[in-house]
Amino acid sequence: MIGRVPRRGVAAYAGVVALVAAVPVVFPVSPYTHNLLTFAFLMIAGSLAWNWMGGFVGQVSFGHATMFGIGGFVAARLILSGALPAPLAWIAAGLVAGVVALGAHPMLRLRGPYFSIATIGVGEASRVIFTYWEGFTGGSSGLSLPIDPILKYQLYWWGLGLAGLVGGASWLLRRSTLGLQLLAIKADVEAAADVGVSATFYQDLIFCLSGAVVGLTGGLYASYFAYIEPSDLFGFDRSIGFVLMAVIGGLGTVFGPILGAVVFVLLRQNLLASYPELYLGLYGGLLIVIILFEPLGLTGLGLRLARRVRRAREGRRS
Amino acid sequence: MSLLAVRGLSKSFGGLRALDRVDLVLAEREILGVIGPNGAGKTTLFSLIAGSLEPTAGEVHLGERPLHRMPAHRIVRAGVVRTHQIVRPFPNLTVLENATVAALHAGGRASGPAPVRAAEVLEFVGLADRADRMPGTLTLAGRKRLELARALAVAPRVLLLDEVIAGLGPTEAQALALLIRRIRDERGASIIMIEHVMPAVMSLSDRVIVLDHGKQIAEGTPAEVVRDAQVLAAYLGPGGAP
Repeated sequence: MIGRVPRRGVAAYAGVVALVAAVPVVFPVSPYTHNLLTFAFLMIAGSLAWNWMGGFVGQVSFGHATMFGIGGFVAARLILSGALPAPLAWIAAGLVAGVVALGAHPMLRLRGPYFSIATIGVGEASRVIFTYWEGFTGGSSGLSLPIDPILKYQLYWWGLGLAGLVGGASWLLRRSTLGLQLLAIKADVEAAADVGVSATFYQDLIFCLSGAVVGLTGGLYASYFAYIEPSDLFGFDRSIGFVLMAVIGGLGTVFGPILGAVVFVLLRQNLLASYPELYLGLYGGLLIVIILFEPLGLTGLGLRLARRVRRAREGRRS
Repeated sequence: MSLLAVRGLSKSFGGLRALDRVDLVLAEREILGVIGPNGAGKTTLFSLIAGSLEPTAGEVHLGERPLHRMPAHRIVRAGVVRTHQIVRPFPNLTVLENATVAALHAGGRASGPAPVRAAEVLEFVGLADRADRMPGTLTLAGRKRLELARALAVAPRVLLLDEVIAGLGPTEAQALALLIRRIRDERGASIIMIEHVMPAVMSLSDRVIVLDHGKQIAEGTPAEVVRDAQVLAAYLGPGGAP
């Protein structure tokens, strides 16, 4: 670890999570809002984990839907067979997705755009394979899980718990010596090797962890939606979604993906309802604007505003 | 017994022989200078020893341990580390964090927390007061010191210095030359240094080898090498020798 974990920061973080956990108990929110928030928590967990690879290591994956889908279908199959209760099925889903993510090893020799293009290929190939693998995924008609209103209601706290843990993990990762090595790999993979950092090892490790968390998220999503199909879970939209959330919030920042996921979910929910054919185009435009003008996304914008406010205050004082 | 032994080391890029059967040995606590005109294969030699490039032929041994065909990061852990002629700090990490990343890979050669050892190394190279700055805010001399600090943080047994002094003003050049000598004397590292700044090579090196067109054309004490006719020809062209 670099430095000690500040107690105040941990307390504040735990406080925020506890407040959010208390919301449905204290305020009577509509089932719609309740579910939307649950979905947002899942996306927060997924985008935070995507950011470990895309933001910290700098390897932008357009194929995380593969792990999301595998997690979703593994969890669904385990729940349907009655082998495991839902929470254990989600964990198993995460483990399977993590192991599958290790299969990215050969791709991780590639860097930058080459890696990204390879992940698009693998992501799309997995969508096709799992759509045809009817025995496992139910093919294009998908799988239906038993409707469980109580579990769906409780998913709010499962989702929040997962998002809270992954957020805490991101923060620790960024501050740890492991995180330093990831940033070194991102900056200059050869110079990192010249001071002893094995890019191969750390990229495999982080892709595995990131894939496991996204798989876990997929497992929760299966229970949340209760009906899953391969073209949705393995869809390119999903992969793009993880990229967008992290980029909107601030690529490589610790908590940016949380902001990004919230904005993404809100936009998606409103646009999908009214302009289903427009929303991907809007995301594309948003992505271009952010990359051109504020590469650190909303986090960068926030920092810039804070600086300006501080400067204005100092100006007034003198 | 030599610390580092290079035998018949060669590298071809297509038809070009960048390095052609070079042999050298480095003794414990020795400073070996490597000189030669541009394109002589000096940096290629370092890249091969450090594992950034795979040799076409030849062997590198650290003591009994073969290093050729090991990946770069394992060679560092074995105790051989290089610096780059064009400095390559991690721009997204502070000066201290830059050194810390390296300090994590000292193998069994150092004990204690990496950040503490990194801070000690920054103190040694004279960057302690800039530990929390970003590398981009340092002067060229500062970045060269950081490059040195990062290499020293792995507690190397063999240090490969690629033009650490070149490009600096006379005062800084002298300060860095002094630092290189202190690395050998106080930290016990053996050093191979590529350098164009002749006064520095001549005063620091115990021995010098000369490369030209990938071949080793001379070897000896600094005084012997400067009198060598082949060396003068390589630098000044045939007939250039007085």
